[in-house]
Amino acid sequence: MKPRAYWNPYFAGVMLGLVLFGTFLVAAQGLGATAFPKRLIALWAAGVDAQWTARNPALGSYVAGGVFPLRNWIFVEVIGVMLGGFIGALSAGRFRVAVEKGPRVSVRARLWYALAGGTIMGFAAGLARGCTSGQALSGGATLATGSWLFMLMVFAGGYAVAWFVRRQWV
Amino acid sequence: MSAIFPLAFASEEVSLLTAVIMGFLFGFTLERAGFGNARKLAGQFYLHDMTVFKVMFTAILVAMVGIYAFAALGWLDLALLWINPTFLWSQLVGGFLLGAGFIVSGLCPGTAVVSAVSGRVDAMVTFVGVFLGTFLFAVTVDAFPWLERLYHAGSLGTSLLSDLLGMPAPLLAALVVLGAGAAFLGAEWVERRMAGRYPAVENAPTVRPRLKLAVPGALAALALGATFAPAPHRSVPVPEFERMSAGDVARRIIGREPGLVLLDVRGTAAAKEQGLPGAQAASLDSTVVPVLAGLAADQLVVVYDADGKLGALPAGWPLQPRYAVLAGGLAAWRAEVLTPAVARDATSAERALVAEQNQLAAFFSGATVAAPAAAAPPPAAGGGGGGKKKEAGGC
Repeated sequence: MKPRAYWNPYFAGVMLGLVLFGTFLVAAQGLGATAFPKRLIALWAAGVDAQWTARNPALGSYVAGGVFPLRNWIFVEVIGVMLGGFIGALSAGRFRVAVEKGPRVSVRARLWYALAGGTIMGFAAGLARGCTSGQALSGGATLATGSWLFMLMVFAGGYAVAWFVRRQWV
Repeated sequence: MSAIFPLAFASEEVSLLTAVIMGFLFGFTLERAGFGNARKLAGQFYLHDMTVFKVMFTAILVAMVGIYAFAALGWLDLALLWINPTFLWSQLVGGFLLGAGFIVSGLCPGTAVVSAVSGRVDAMVTFVGVFLGTFLFAVTVDAFPWLERLYHAGSLGTSLLSDLLGMPAPLLAALVVLGAGAAFLGAEWVERRMAGRYPAVENAPTVRPRLKLAVPGALAALALGATFAPAPHRSVPVPEFERMSAGDVARRIIGREPGLVLLDVRGTAAAKEQGLPGAQAASLDSTVVPVLAGLAADQLVVVYDADGKLGALPAGWPLQPRYAVLAGGLAAWRAEVLTPAVARDATSAERALVAEQNQLAAFFSGATVAAPAAAAPPPAAGGGGGGKKKEAGGC
């Protein structure tokens, strides 16, 4: 079965923009993604060493006052993203257990790249206090200075490294 | 004039319901845009597929115009929106690293979620990497002072580009729209030039059977691991729990320190034995203590039990006010404040101390200490503090 075609990018952009705008109207904040791993890590770390977690510059605020770190708007939103993405892929006939990669790279190598890239992004999203969703998209829409700087640097970093990993994609 | 937006929900449950709904729409839209496909996302960096740029910038334009138009009409209160604070150096370095990770994995954290639930194994692995990286940052930012300095470097607080450039936000928004329009034309031109340069990619190779079994196996192992992971205890002790001597507490009560709150946490014993004057009872087991709601950050809450064995702040208590534990508990209060005794071979300093303690004892046992509140019960700290509270912690 041939999967349903992707939306026109500008139409998809308008829809995404409306969702983002609607989020600001109902939640007084934008969308996010990396709060999900951050808060899960905070919960786990607090279970292992509560004092260390409470003092940690990156995790402390998630457990301040003994609050349950998963009781949070963005965390629940990411669960919604999982549902929406799953229903979206299923209804478009795109759900498939597969590996996305270029023609010149093995599946194993591709998965090592994926792990390395994910690790770099997790570290980077910690340092920058957000990722492409929470910083670039949401902060960008509010015209936050740091978010625009972040967004420019994401593209700069991507283009700077693209040549070195070209075998993986093209 | 009060704006309609952002909506304020009466209950957290309703607010979290909107989180599921908006998240669902976010995930669905990302999937339909093609963001569940690492090859399509990577195309942005080899210039033959500019979907990332087009979708992302169109979305930013729509939301930005919506926000500033609603604000100009008075429908949206900008002051209530959460605006990402600016930390120039951490965002500069973090942004570059995130871009590098983006092209290495082919996904960003949000699109990795969408791609993973579309069945893509590379995305699941990427998301595992994001967890590792998040943990790595938390550990290293704690271990290396230079990294913590970088994390906080270049702080401008809440900073808008429009303020930085000294122009009204709606004008800047209009300029961004025009600039993006030109950029879209450029993106289309680049895509046409690069068309056919690389093989078209529509269907990803399905993974080999061995891996197909490995994936559900790995997920099941993860679920099992999560089940047996150390049960997280939700109570986080306050790092530095101040201890305060009985004499110090007594002087604060006599001095009618503004905002002072005394909290008796002895439980049922409190009903039988007289505690500190003006103290309010609270249970260590309850997460909601009405007395503590709305206290200012600099207000002092002296917590005491029978013997000063109190260790950690109970779960759910606000971190906001300053807490101190009465050293030695009520037993120490009795010994030092109510019934001070002087040893036979005491030094002059010790005698002076006891003399002062006797004054305290006189005050708290109701005797005259040249104060207007002589016969009246000692100042009710809770009531007196209540009045001051509003001044200190106005919101």
